[in-house]
Amino acid sequence: MKTFKIIICIKQVPMVSELPWDAKTGTLKRELAQGMMDPSSRRAVEAGLQIKEIRSAAGEHTQIIALSMGPPMAAEILYQAKAVGADKGVLLSDRRMAGADTFLTSFILAQYIKRQEPDVDLVLCGSQTSDSETAQVGPQLAGELSIPAIGYASDIKLQGNLLRVQRHVDDFLEILEMDLPGLVTIDQGAYDPRYTSLGGVQDAFESGAFEYNAEDTDIVQVDAKGLGLDDTFNAVKDSPTRILDVYSPTTQKENMVLKGAPKIVVDQLFDGYGKIISSAMGKDLKTHSHTGE
Amino acid sequence: MKHQLISKTVREFAENEIQPMVAELDREARFPYEIVERMKPLHFFGLQVPKNLGGAGLDTISYAIVIEELSRVSAALGLCVTVHNSVGISPILEFGTREQINRFVPAMAAGDSIGAFCLTEANAGSDAGGVETSARETQDGYIINGTKIFVTNGGVAGTILVFAVTEGAGSAANVFIVERDRPGFLVGEIEDLCGMRANPVSSLFFEDCKVPRENLLGKPGQGLKIGLKGLDTGRIGIAAQALGIAQAAFEASVTYAKERQQFNKPISRFQTIQNYLADMATSIDAARLLLHRAAAFKDKGIPFSAQASMAKLFCSDTARTVTDMAVQIHGGYGYSKEYDVERYFRDAKVTQIYEGTSEVQRMVIARHILTQPS
Repeated sequence: MKTFKIIICIKQVPMVSELPWDAKTGTLKRELAQGMMDPSSRRAVEAGLQIKEIRSAAGEHTQIIALSMGPPMAAEILYQAKAVGADKGVLLSDRRMAGADTFLTSFILAQYIKRQEPDVDLVLCGSQTSDSETAQVGPQLAGELSIPAIGYASDIKLQGNLLRVQRHVDDFLEILEMDLPGLVTIDQGAYDPRYTSLGGVQDAFESGAFEYNAEDTDIVQVDAKGLGLDDTFNAVKDSPTRILDVYSPTTQKENMVLKGAPKIVVDQLFDGYGKIISSAMGKDLKTHSHTGE
Repeated sequence: MKHQLISKTVREFAENEIQPMVAELDREARFPYEIVERMKPLHFFGLQVPKNLGGAGLDTISYAIVIEELSRVSAALGLCVTVHNSVGISPILEFGTREQINRFVPAMAAGDSIGAFCLTEANAGSDAGGVETSARETQDGYIINGTKIFVTNGGVAGTILVFAVTEGAGSAANVFIVERDRPGFLVGEIEDLCGMRANPVSSLFFEDCKVPRENLLGKPGQGLKIGLKGLDTGRIGIAAQALGIAQAAFEASVTYAKERQQFNKPISRFQTIQNYLADMATSIDAARLLLHRAAAFKDKGIPFSAQASMAKLFCSDTARTVTDMAVQIHGGYGYSKEYDVERYFRDAKVTQIYEGTSEVQRMVIARHILTQPS
C-alpha cells in the first residue's frame, strides 16, 4: 500500500509575546529571545500525528516530514517535531533566504516541496504564527503548489483520497470535503498539542547527522543552491513587501464605572448602552421594560 | 541544542501542569498522584534507564537539567523524581543481577513503582557505620528488623533499598531490595516538615520482614560501596534540585524588583537591590557550572565523587543564600504565603542537610584533596 505523505510547515518564533523591533528595518529583534516552536505550528503537528496514529492502527503507513525555513538554530524545532513522532525534519536555511516576506517564504517552501517531495498528499500549516500573525504563508503556499486549500480547520478526517474538514466560521460550523493533494491550516483552538517525552528528545538527537543537502538522514538542512535558486537570489531585495511603519496601537477603550443603587445603575446602563446591548443580543429590549413602569 | 530542548520541554510541562497547584500541594502537604500519572509517559521516572527497559536513556547533564527545571517549579516533586532515579534505580542498574534489573527496573522506569533509599536511622545518618537495622540470614533469605527515618518518598515507595547490617561473624553492611507488599514492612506517619511538604517523607518499619536471597543487592558485604556510589549520583540530583529552587527565587526577585515601587521608582533602580541581583545571578551561574562539570565527568566515566560533593555543597549553599535574598527583596510580601518565595526559602534549607550534609560534603572534598599525590 502507498505511503501517505504529510508535510507539516513549522516555524520557530521568539518565546516572549512582545519583542522590541528594529526601527530601521521594521522587523522584530528575534535574537533577543529564546526560540520555540510556534504554538499554531504545534497544533498542525498534532493534527498530522493523529492522522498517522489512526492510519497506523489500521496497518497503513504514513510519513510525516516537518519542514521549516529559518536560521540554523531553528533546527531545534525539527528535533522537537521528530521527538513527538515526525519521521524527518528539513530546514531550509541560507543567509540569502533571510528576511524573506510571506510571499517569498511560500515560494521557497514550495520550491523544496516541488523538487524533493512532489508526491506529497497533504500539507499542514498552523493558521497563523505567534510572532507575525499574517496567516498568509499557508494559502500562498497552496497557490504556489497549485493545490486546493482550506484555512482555520478545527478537525480533519481522512477518507480515502478525500479530506473531510470541519471549521468554525463566525457562528457557523462548516464541513467541507477536499480532494488530495491539498493544504489545510489548523485553527488556533484545535488540536491541543501533546507534551514532548524526554525519551523522544533523546531519540531525535540520536537519529543521524545533521548535514547540508544530505538526503539520507532524518534531519536535513538545505541551502539556496540545494533548492535550485539562482546566484542572484536575495530574499531581502526580492521580497515585494515593504514595511512602511511599525507602531504600538494606542488603546481606544475607556472604562466607565456606574455608581449608585442597583436600580440606578441598571437605568444608567440601559439609557447609555441599551441600543448597543440590543443589537448585540439581537433583541429589541424596548419590549422588556426595565423601569418597571 | 539537545540540552536546550530538554530544558524547554520540562519547563513547559512543569509550568502548565504543576505550577497552578504547587502552593496548594505545599499547604496541604499532599503528594500529587494525578500529576505523577501525567509524568509517567514522558519518562520522568526512567531518566537514565536504557530504552530497552522503558527509560529515556538520557545523559547525566540532561538529567541535571530535568531535575533543575522540575524543582524550579516544585522542589518536592523534583525531590521525588531525583531520589527515585538516582538512589532508587541507579544502584539496581549498577549492582543488580540481570534478573534483578529485569524484575525491578521496568516498573520503576514506568513510574508504577516509586523508589526510595533508606539509610538514616535515629542513631545513624552522616555516620553510616551506626546503622542498627539488622538482616538475619536464614536458609532461603534474610529477615530484616529495624526502623528507618526521614525516608524521602517513604509514603508512596513501591521498591525500597534498605541499608542493613547482617548479623553474625564478620557483620557487614548490605543493601536489600524490599517490595512494598512484603509482610513485616510498614509505613509510618508522613512527617510534618518545614519544606518539601508535597513529598511524603516518612519512617519505615521492618518487623521480621522476610526477603528472599534474590533481593540482596550486589555481593554480600558490598552495602557500603553501593551506598556511597548511590549517594555520589544522588548528590548531582540534589545539587540540581537546589539550583532549581535558587533559579526560581532569582526570577521571582527580578520580576518583583522591576514592579515594586518605593520612593517613586522601581526598587530595581536602587544599587543595593542591583547588588543583590548581581550576587544571586553570579552564584547561580557558578553553581550550575560546577554541577554540569560533575555531570560531564560522570558521563565521561571520570571519577566524579569530589566534583559531585563540591556541586552539592555549593548549589545547596547558593539555594539558601539566594532564597534568603529573595525574601529580603520581597520585604513583608516575601514573608507571606501570598508569594512563592517563602516556600523557596523553606524548601532550600533541607538541601544543605539531606543526601549528605554540607559538613559531610566538606569531609568528602577534604579527603579527596588530602589523598591526592603531592
